[in-house]
Parts: sequence; C-alpha cells; structure tokens
Amino acid sequence: MIEATPVSAVMRALADPTRRAVFERVVSAEEITVAELTRGSGVTQGAISQHLRSLKQAGLVIERPEGRNVYYRAQPDGLLPLVDWMTHYSAFWRDNFDRLRAVLKDIDP
Amino acid sequence: MNNIAVKSDMQSADTTSPNSTSIVIDEVFPHRAEVLWKAITNGDLMGRWMMKPAGFEPVVGNRFTFRTAPAGAWDGTIRCEVLEVAPLERFAFAWRGGDEANVGYGSKLDTVVTFTLHRVQTGTRLRMEHSGFVLPKNDTAYTNMGKGWVKCVETLGSVAGEQS
Repeated sequence: MIEATPVSAVMRALADPTRRAVFERVVSAEEITVAELTRGSGVTQGAISQHLRSLKQAGLVIERPEGRNVYYRAQPDGLLPLVDWMTHYSAFWRDNFDRLRAVLKDIDP
Repeated sequence: MNNIAVKSDMQSADTTSPNSTSIVIDEVFPHRAEVLWKAITNGDLMGRWMMKPAGFEPVVGNRFTFRTAPAGAWDGTIRCEVLEVAPLERFAFAWRGGDEANVGYGSKLDTVVTFTLHRVQTGTRLRMEHSGFVLPKNDTAYTNMGKGWVKCVETLGSVAGEQS
C-alpha cells in the first residue's frame, strides 16, 4: 500500500546490492565514468551501464557527456524520499506494532 | 501481515514548498476495541510496546515526554501533547523533538501521531498515522550524507521486499 511512487521507485533501484554499490561509488566519486566504475568491480562494463540506466531512471544519478566520455554524478534530489529519519520511524512503528500484538495477547489471551 | 506505508504528498522535486510525509500502519488485531483502547491509552501498557511515557494522562491538553537517544544539540526528549481523546475511536498526540542543527536522526520534528480504531468482524482494526514529517529543503543535506545513507537504504530494501 505504498502511495508515493518516488519512494518505492528509489527503494526498488537500491534494493539490488550491486546497484547500491555502484551508486555508493558514484556518490563518493563526485563524477565518474563507466570505465572507472568497471575497473576492479568484478562485473562487466555492460552490467555497470545497465545499473546506471536503472539508477538514472530512478532519478538517483545524472549524466554529463563530454567528448567520448560520459560522466555520472549523484542526483542530490534523488535521495529526497529516502531520508534516514523516515526509515528510523518506519522501523520504529513496525516494531511497536509487533510488540503491541504480543502485549494484547498477554493481557487478553 | 504488516502493512506499513510511507505516504507523501510530495509531487515533484520542487524545493520551494515544504513536503510533508506520513508513516501509516494499518492492522487488524483479534481483540475487542476496549482492549486495544486500553493498550494505547494506558501509560504502563504504552511503555510495554511503544516507549514509557513520563507524566502521561489520556486527557486533552496533557503534556508528557518520551526519552530517546540524544543526537547532537538535542537531548533525545520527545515532547508530546494530547490532542484528541475519543474513547474507542481516536487518540492523537503531538510529537515534537529534535534540533534544527541535526540532519537525519534527531532533526527537528513537529509531528502528530493519530490512532484510529474500527471494529471489524475479526476484532479491531488499528490505524496509526505519524504525520507531518517535513523533508529538508536543503539539497546539501543529501550530498553531505556520505556513507551514512547506506545503512538506511539497506533497511529500506528489506521494507521494500516485504511489500512486494
């Protein structure tokens, strides 16, 4: 019952560990090419390109072509739906409801 | 089983207007509304599943606090005020805390928690909405997040897995 598409789109894009790793490197590199991302990653350049496309579709990265290279950088707005305190509170209430279920069972078996 | 949603009225990346987001959980419990009402409005019972409130009374205007982990300039105290008490139907309180200087956990919060009860055939449906989370407008907050975001994304990944 997710009502906000941006949140679920971003969540889906980052649910894949490899894609998450690619995004993390883009974030920490400021600007980086596909070739640089591929180097030492253990996956093919094609796979990296595919992940970058997904990240771009989710609004997490933007590209800047220059000559023969395409530079990727993190799109700051992309993480807008992913504020960590939202995560904190989502988890908080989920745990609360689990505990409430147990308390109710205890006081009203 | 566990229905959790992050509801947002955010329509675009327009950063000129505040974007307010809610967390919603909606679940049916196999208990009578009277039992649920007691569990959510009795201080001792609240302490067993949520957090232990200090100075709580289920009376409109009552001010109480929860103590949580401090962050930066914020001492971790959540200041609450009872906003609505409609027995067996609705219970709402303000939830305020945090500090302007914090980003992420511990950032300034001026939110409202609303519990709504509905009797259903199999028991009682409890809906919790924690509303009023205003997403920071400052983009640098995100670029400065550094590696901290990884943990949050991992958590979200598992939440997304449950929803699909």
